Amino acid sequence: MKKEDLIKINDYTWEIPKSYRHDMRVPARIFISEKMIGKLLEEEALEQVVNVATLPGIQKYSLAMPDIHWGYGFAVGGVAAVDAEHGVISPGGIGFDINCGVRLLKTHVRYDEIKEKIPALASALYKEVPSGVGRGGQMTLSEKELDEVLERGAEKIVADGYGTQHDLKHCESGGRLPEADATKVSKTAKARGRDQLGTIGAGNHFVEVDRVDEIYDEQTAKEFGLFKDQIVILIHCGSRGLGHQIATDYIKRMLVAMPKYGITLPDRQLAACPFTSPEGQDYYKAMAAGANFAWANRQRITWEVRKAWEHAIGKGESLELLYDVAHNIAKTEEYPSTSSGQVKKMVVHRKGATRAFPGQPVIIPGSMGTHSFVMIGQKESLEQSFGTTAHGAGRMMSRTQAKHEIRGAELREQLEAEGISVRAGSVAGLAEEAPEAYKDIEDVADVVHRTGIARKVVRLRPVAVMKG
Amino acid sequence: MRAHQILSHTADVRLRAEGSTIEELFCAALEGMAEIQSARITNHELRITKNINMKSVDRTALLIDFLSEVLAQSQIEKAVFDTVAFVKLTNTELEAEISGERAEGFAEDIKAVTYHGAEIVQNSAGNYETTILFDI
Repeated sequence: MKKEDLIKINDYTWEIPKSYRHDMRVPARIFISEKMIGKLLEEEALEQVVNVATLPGIQKYSLAMPDIHWGYGFAVGGVAAVDAEHGVISPGGIGFDINCGVRLLKTHVRYDEIKEKIPALASALYKEVPSGVGRGGQMTLSEKELDEVLERGAEKIVADGYGTQHDLKHCESGGRLPEADATKVSKTAKARGRDQLGTIGAGNHFVEVDRVDEIYDEQTAKEFGLFKDQIVILIHCGSRGLGHQIATDYIKRMLVAMPKYGITLPDRQLAACPFTSPEGQDYYKAMAAGANFAWANRQRITWEVRKAWEHAIGKGESLELLYDVAHNIAKTEEYPSTSSGQVKKMVVHRKGATRAFPGQPVIIPGSMGTHSFVMIGQKESLEQSFGTTAHGAGRMMSRTQAKHEIRGAELREQLEAEGISVRAGSVAGLAEEAPEAYKDIEDVADVVHRTGIARKVVRLRPVAVMKG
Repeated sequence: MRAHQILSHTADVRLRAEGSTIEELFCAALEGMAEIQSARITNHELRITKNINMKSVDRTALLIDFLSEVLAQSQIEKAVFDTVAFVKLTNTELEAEISGERAEGFAEDIKAVTYHGAEIVQNSAGNYETTILFDI
């Protein structure tokens, strides 16, 4: 694709018209600034946004957020709303890490009050929160317990004493999708997840301690309980091997079933079946179970983080949850349809994208060592992006290139010199997640802010990072 | 003859696998995936074997489904599988015994094997080849 193929709608919105390719059912819209386009044109991400525009039942636009990058099936940062009655559901539009997401915990202390204890806190987090590839947690669930987690999500963990009702109230969907059905999750998926509750895994998942660095909106910051130099903690992880296996199982099943429904798509990774079909409904119920596992996982990790805080800093701090948002998920929501304008139920696919309903806290983590943002969803998000915003910085450099160009040990030294305590299981893994490998989070947050989808509230600066 | 090469990708990892026969191609892809996983093995005596079987829509899907199954077993058993003996291998069906070693951990977290861009073709040398994208 060339830049000439894009039509500039305004400074932060670009359109690929339906005429770009004969099989597009709707145009595509990308929320991005002109300076960010160049790099994007070097890879296949925009073609993937076009591919999504071919999904049966897609409404209005195939959308991409400013952190868009090359994925598989959907681009990362891709959003599609599909008519729930006549359209499809595509597991590739949610991704393998179902309900990968982020939550933010607030403290009442300022950075200066615990500055000297930050390295000890980083070590305590590394000790209490299991991380790393294939590493299990502190418990192995029985079949009955796992089924309860799949159907009740964070609720089950709180009922077991690892959290509060306040935590549940501040999770997207209350930390539970009621459509979940554990019987739709395969034995293999359950075997992969059985010992993984309470673990962050590896890759770009982390627990990070931040200080509130800048306040853009005093009033909203106050309402959110955020103040200058406040210490907060970010948790980023998902449904681990269990979610990955649910996606794998259902993409395979849908590939077999698609000819029965007369569906052909330009990329097998987009495999889709009608939402109302047995395959579509079974996937939706299994995906909801995977999403519940992820919320349960972040809830259990929250308990581990609270334990680490108690060990390193002391008792008496509640570490209150500001909000928990999902990045990779499908939800049924209501929006006006493209053809009739009447409000209809739609299956909103968000892959590497965050729900941003008006008034909702939105958390956009940066890459390791860079700023993160807390924003607030705006009314415009419902009109422009099916209530959705960006989910993070978005990769720009391949993992192999990052490992080639950046030495993990040097990066650790550099981050420590900047006042960031780093605890990581893998030095190579550290290099893969170097800030240079990602787009500038400030650019991503600016685009979101200027389109009016979500407004900046505060900026966070990391002081400790723990990853696998 | 079989060979594999790990290629760059913005968010994930791609593998190019090549074999003089379909069986060799499957072996090359398996070895490539094991290399990406980079298992930490402290005790080479702890061998493990598993029997697997599957049906898929075509031979490319069969290769992806084969790797997906090996990956699942790898995570469940905390092992790396780098050897396969086929009992049956057609364009759409497979029965095999996979074997490998117990692992202490892995350097890379492969979440899944994707169908994106995969297609088994015969190259100018007459060998079978494809690229495979792994979700990291």
